[in-house]
Amino acid sequence: MNIIEIILSPVIALLMGLFFLGLARKIMARIHWRYGPPIYQPIIDIIRLFSQKAMSHGFIFEMGIILSLAGSFLVILFLPIGIMCPLSTGGGLLVILYVMLLGPLGIALSGGEAANPNTSIGISRKFILALCYEVPLLLIILAVITHYNTISIVEIVNRQSMSGWSFGSLPLLLSGIAYLLILPAILGIRPFEVVGAAQEISSGPSVEYGGKYLAFNTIEHGLNEFIGIALFVNLFLGGGDLFGIFASFVDTVLESILGVIVFLVKMIIVFVIGLFINAVYPRFRIEQAVKYIWVWPTLLAFVGLIIVIIVH
Amino acid sequence: MKTLKKKIESSFDNINITVTDNNMDISIDKNGIVTLLSFLKNMGYEHLALISCVDLPDEKLLEIVYILSAYMENDKKFTEKEARNIIVKTRIPRDKANFVTVIDIFENAEPYERELHELFGIHFQGHPRLTPLFLELEYKIPPFRKDFDTRKFVKQFFENIPAVE
Amino acid sequence: MDRNQIKKWFKSPAKMGHKYSLHAIYFCTGCGIIEIPPSITARWDAERFGVIPVATPRQANLFLITGYVSTKTLKAIIRTYEQMPEPKFTVGFGSCPINGGMYWDSYNTIKKLDKYIPVDGWIAGCMPRPEAVFVAVTHLWTLIDKDMANGYIKYREKYKYYRANQEKVFGTLDWPPLFS
Repeated sequence: MNIIEIILSPVIALLMGLFFLGLARKIMARIHWRYGPPIYQPIIDIIRLFSQKAMSHGFIFEMGIILSLAGSFLVILFLPIGIMCPLSTGGGLLVILYVMLLGPLGIALSGGEAANPNTSIGISRKFILALCYEVPLLLIILAVITHYNTISIVEIVNRQSMSGWSFGSLPLLLSGIAYLLILPAILGIRPFEVVGAAQEISSGPSVEYGGKYLAFNTIEHGLNEFIGIALFVNLFLGGGDLFGIFASFVDTVLESILGVIVFLVKMIIVFVIGLFINAVYPRFRIEQAVKYIWVWPTLLAFVGLIIVIIVH
Repeated sequence: MKTLKKKIESSFDNINITVTDNNMDISIDKNGIVTLLSFLKNMGYEHLALISCVDLPDEKLLEIVYILSAYMENDKKFTEKEARNIIVKTRIPRDKANFVTVIDIFENAEPYERELHELFGIHFQGHPRLTPLFLELEYKIPPFRKDFDTRKFVKQFFENIPAVE
Repeated sequence: MDRNQIKKWFKSPAKMGHKYSLHAIYFCTGCGIIEIPPSITARWDAERFGVIPVATPRQANLFLITGYVSTKTLKAIIRTYEQMPEPKFTVGFGSCPINGGMYWDSYNTIKKLDKYIPVDGWIAGCMPRPEAVFVAVTHLWTLIDKDMANGYIKYREKYKYYRANQEKVFGTLDWPPLFS
């Protein structure tokens, strides 16, 4: 059973990541009152990119992008999708938190090897943004850990199926709102699209990628979006469970399939709400982004943490 | 306008001034251009709008044209009888076209003189940077002169390059 | 469109990929670039054909040369074209790359772009409307299907003739030859 889960989990994440990229382009096009590309357009792009002969800048240039892909796939093995969790250990949440940074690190390594000043600007912006949103993110996760008294993310999902979603429970409501406020920064959509700004810095860290490296970069982008939303759904929206009604009347195989479907539906709803914000806002500058993230979401997360400590 | 005309005529000789609606046309010998321009700048005409050139091949002369005007906040000093634009013209010989730069008086003359050097072949002494501004190739005759035959140049340069089969 | 025919995808996925995902580099040559933003925005939507603009030549597939090409621009065009990865397609817009157009007797513009980089197709007009852009894209699909859009192979095989033509215009070039 475990082997099937280890193979199936990254495959589901890959397909969902690409589906999110295509869904983003289609919904943005419909908001702009035009038809868009078909939803499977990222797959066509990746097929085309794999058949182009790109230029490589050296050994670290190629290995950096593979490192970031490896980091993202490793994080997916620790995330529960429904009741499927291939590597569920006691301290799952902390492992996710620090392995999540391997993605930007890999791209920064390979970008340093490419001799382009646009890459350096893009990477510095990416790391400043990552530094920014880690502060409220850690406060939120501290609040969740204190409330449920456990670090294992599978345990958190199971407790939510028994006692209701975290987003609805009173001590964790402020932390949930703070997480919603920094979710565009984690995903890299507007108003925090400073990293991959196409017009200002010629698409930032991916300016020297062509051919198969750009295909890996696109896959990495899709996986990043999957991880960001999956963490939110698992911590605050109950994971792959609909108030615990499944465990009572179905067996485990059907329950896992239904769990995956419910999980994906919840992710799509959160992603579409994020897309609506993406369609309306322009792009912040990096100092405006820092000023925004360190004022309101940090304050809300801090107040949420204090409320949780007081209640327990 | 009359007062300004009298003032200029009294300070300079070898000069020819005509006055139209709001503009004043001054033709002067090429040796007196620098003193005339600093004189006009002190009178309040501080904006050098354009430096241009006309090619007169029959008389074997190039005519350099400076257009000066006054900024808006100085308009209150002038009454309606003063000029709005002053056009200063000199003529230099065509064969060895050398002239003196006016960057000491008007600092924004640098790109205009660079353009005239590239397109008409006039050399300005004292200019810090007389390098090409628009064009990439080098031409034997400067392109804006009237004896530069563009069709002959195109036939001889571009149509001689063979197509790749 | 034969985008829905699964059998063709399995027979030659690379060709179908090149057809339906043409990313054009956003290089604004000359006066024809005024017709590209209308064909990208909402009224004449180019994204449903798979055509979007990208910011760098390393990610691009398609090079649109819109408008007249002066000698300074030709240097930039050659350097950009040589940076693009291999299966790449060029389309000349307007009548100026075809035979000089309005500037046929000018001392500073080149007359036929085909002598310096290989061009796969031309679009007539001064400037062509956005509907003409889409007709060009669909014609390029037919050419890719029949394996006739092979400008990049011609560049590789006849590189010394192209380089000789480029050196005739500029004298010596700053960059070394691409294919030795």
